[in-house]
Amino acid sequence: MIALRRRGALSKLYDINWLLVSLVMLVGFIGVAMIYAATDGVWSRGAQQHFIRLSVAGIMMIVIALIDLKVWYKLAYFAYFGALLLLLGVEFFGVSVNGSQRWLDAGVMRLQPSEVMKLAVVMALARYYHDIAVWRISRPSGLLGALLIIIAPMVLIIRQPDLGTTLLVAATGFGLVFLSGVNWRVISGAFVASLISVPLFFRFGLQEYQRSRILTFLDPSRDPTGASYHITQSKIALGSGGVSGKGFMNGTQRQLEYVPENRTDFIFTVIGEEFGLIGSLITMGIYLLVIGLCIWLSVQCKHIFSRLLIMGLTITFTLYIFINLGMVMGLVPVVGVPLPLISYGGTVIMTVMTGFGLILSAHLHRKNDLPKSYL
Amino acid sequence: MIRNNIDENVVNRRTALMALGGLGVYGVLASRLYYLQVTKAEDYRALSDDNRFNFNITLPSRGRILDRSGEVLAVNRQDYRVVLIPERVKDLDGTLSRISDIIGLSEGQEKRIRKDIKDNARFVPILVENHLDWETFAALNLKTPDLPGVIPEVGEGRYYPNKGIFAHTLGFVGRAGPSDVSDDKDPLLRQPTFRIGKTGIEAAQDAVLRGSSGRLKVEVNAVGRIVREWPDPKDRAKDGENVWLTLDAELQRYAAKQFGADSGGLAVIDVLTGELRTLLSMPSFDGNLFVSGLTQADMNALNNDEKRPQYNKVLSGGYPPASTFKMTVMLAALEAGLINPADKIFCVGKLRLGNRNFHCWKRKGHGSVDMREALKSSCDVYFYDIAQTVGMDKIAQMGRRLGLGQRFDVGISGVRAGIMPDEAWKQAKLGAAWRGGDTLNASIGQGFVLATPLQLAVMAGRIANGRQAITPQLVIGEDLKEAPPLEINPDHLAFVTEAMWSVCHEPGGTAFTPEGLGIEGVEMAGKTGTGQVRGISSTERANRIRKNEELPWKLRDHSIFVGYAPYDKPRFAVGCLVEHGGSGAKRAAEITRAVLALALERDGMSRPPAEVTSEAGI
Repeated sequence: MIALRRRGALSKLYDINWLLVSLVMLVGFIGVAMIYAATDGVWSRGAQQHFIRLSVAGIMMIVIALIDLKVWYKLAYFAYFGALLLLLGVEFFGVSVNGSQRWLDAGVMRLQPSEVMKLAVVMALARYYHDIAVWRISRPSGLLGALLIIIAPMVLIIRQPDLGTTLLVAATGFGLVFLSGVNWRVISGAFVASLISVPLFFRFGLQEYQRSRILTFLDPSRDPTGASYHITQSKIALGSGGVSGKGFMNGTQRQLEYVPENRTDFIFTVIGEEFGLIGSLITMGIYLLVIGLCIWLSVQCKHIFSRLLIMGLTITFTLYIFINLGMVMGLVPVVGVPLPLISYGGTVIMTVMTGFGLILSAHLHRKNDLPKSYL
Repeated sequence: MIRNNIDENVVNRRTALMALGGLGVYGVLASRLYYLQVTKAEDYRALSDDNRFNFNITLPSRGRILDRSGEVLAVNRQDYRVVLIPERVKDLDGTLSRISDIIGLSEGQEKRIRKDIKDNARFVPILVENHLDWETFAALNLKTPDLPGVIPEVGEGRYYPNKGIFAHTLGFVGRAGPSDVSDDKDPLLRQPTFRIGKTGIEAAQDAVLRGSSGRLKVEVNAVGRIVREWPDPKDRAKDGENVWLTLDAELQRYAAKQFGADSGGLAVIDVLTGELRTLLSMPSFDGNLFVSGLTQADMNALNNDEKRPQYNKVLSGGYPPASTFKMTVMLAALEAGLINPADKIFCVGKLRLGNRNFHCWKRKGHGSVDMREALKSSCDVYFYDIAQTVGMDKIAQMGRRLGLGQRFDVGISGVRAGIMPDEAWKQAKLGAAWRGGDTLNASIGQGFVLATPLQLAVMAGRIANGRQAITPQLVIGEDLKEAPPLEINPDHLAFVTEAMWSVCHEPGGTAFTPEGLGIEGVEMAGKTGTGQVRGISSTERANRIRKNEELPWKLRDHSIFVGYAPYDKPRFAVGCLVEHGGSGAKRAAEITRAVLALALERDGMSRPPAEVTSEAGI
């Protein structure tokens, strides 16, 4: 054990789970190819940028992986409260893009605090369950702490307004609560409570356009050219691809710009149209390998912090995929969630790759000791 | 071994449970993918093609209108315009204001566009503005990528190179109105950029000129921009065919120049065939204005002009033929055999009938005149006298044989019949008996008699032809019917035409000029007329009849002349009327002489061979 703790950076580098690194980079390169197709083969209209971002974020991922897990454990609450402060900053000083206020302008770069929060909330919850005594978990005091950690960022993010991220944070948070071993009585109680609160939330907690998106999803004929236009056109793109697809760079829906945002949120339509069912299933399969591998890595960890950290980040990653694919296939409303690593967009790459860095770090330091503090 | 305060088994179970749940969701997604890409693939492939392909109606080119030698009178020009397809426009108000920033739409235009959008199916392109200049069109092309549904296009617009000179005959084109659309199911009419003939030849020959629509399969992208065309030769629009007119453009322009600012009508007719070489109404209007859409100011200017530019005087204007009617009276008298042309009548300047005086234009009288002299000096009293003997019915019957009171179908609307009155006509029309004074008035072409300049030309043409009752023709290619015989005694005609010769070539003739037509060895025959448009009171007559120059334009006499040339071998006959054209027939005679001279000069020209259709001769 002591030998392990003292090993040098080089041998640590060797012990990183390179299978996960390769799978993650593979997904990223699929993204480069698909952005290249979505932009009519113009390298400079996104594919190049995506490649550069992927490379930079890849190095960052490795660096994060090499940093001792203790550091991340200690940073957990700082990161969480820092992210909360940034969210509050958005509330007051945020920059508005496309009608919602999500950005902080930090001079050189623009920061999206809700992205930071996606990671921070997982770190905070993982530490929270690592720290409290097991008997508290299903008690009101234990539940209250977890609830506060989850609900505080939700309230700030929904105000931006950003429904997608809010739901993502909530789902990840409650997923971790579930994993921690909360007893079934609490779970069923929460289920009943949500049945009551969701309609209330729908009526009072949502912006008009968010309500409209959900209603349009439930009844597409409400607005054939507006929001459901996205869904209809994206289904046509996928469906017309058939089993084998129309061939790389041959998608007509894509060429004719019928599917909006096909470089970002709707990039899966390009895969579906040009590579058909086969290409789509292969892409989904690679994602499944990534997810499965992450779960496998979590099981090998000895601390509850590591396990929940890996699982929380994996849940976030998986939910990205579920929501995006569900949206593109017309199963869930259009909420503006990208397909991680494939969609064009710098922020998501940074968030996701940081997440994988943390997963790798947790796995790399799986046998190291962490401080024990009982709350 | 997990930290002992949390049960590892619980976490493992929950992780497995969650992984299972995740797999379940994955299964749902995969089966949905299967449903979309395998089960429903055919449907979506069809929808995808629907997305890609539209059928656009393609417009045929309108046939041109040409004069007898192939000069274009109506042609299509490139026209830069911008149309808007409502179903592809996302934000109409914003789009219109953006367009307006570039081309400047008036409030009225915007209202018209909104109305068009409301009245048409959502996929029909609506004309926003046409006749754009190149700079504006280029600026518009630069902006349209941001404006879905706005399409700048290069179309064809009708253009009349001679501006107004042929306007009455050619007419103009315009948008199909509601009545056109309900009568005619041609889909072209519902294309807002399509134009149909509204008046004149454009309307009468619309079926020939229009052609038929084609269709074009186009591939469009989400904003409606055409990214590719899939032309199919068998779907091509069939262009309209050209229409040839008998007119001689050069001669008509020359005639218009002779009129200058004067108002009136002139027709030149081929004495042998009845083909019209000139059919002119002055002043005219620019048909191009009607094509592009008349402004209110243009409209007011046209409507308030006392010379009535829009009125087709040569076909629709009914005027007293005045003394040009005297040949008719002469021929009727000769045919009746009641008058010996050598018998003389003494003109004292007036003839008393009942308690009314009927005056001769020459106040102090012509003295003793025979029939020839009476025509040459246009003595009214002589004709009053013989008309009483012959009777109105015989005169009217002769007038009708010469073409008066008859509607000639020259292929366009608006041709009027004029009036050739007789006893039955007055009874039917006015419910009053024919009176002796009516005959006297009619004998000098006044009173109830009305004729169009076209009829005057036909009358002169029939007298000149002598054998056939020629009818006027305007459109080449329509079946020429053999003209019926005229059935007037040639000896009588010879007597009358010799008298008409004396009018032009003997001193004392009302249209005598020493130089005649000004062409060596070519003589003409003709007759003057002074159409009185006001009543002259007895007091004015007693003191001094006001000269034309002293009268307001509206009250001045019409100046009329009919004639033909050459005298010995007639080719062309002219009917010319200058509204309120000043003293006597001088003005009309001048114009007629000039036009006849040029017509003869240009007579080397032959009409185009019948089998040549569209492209030849340009």
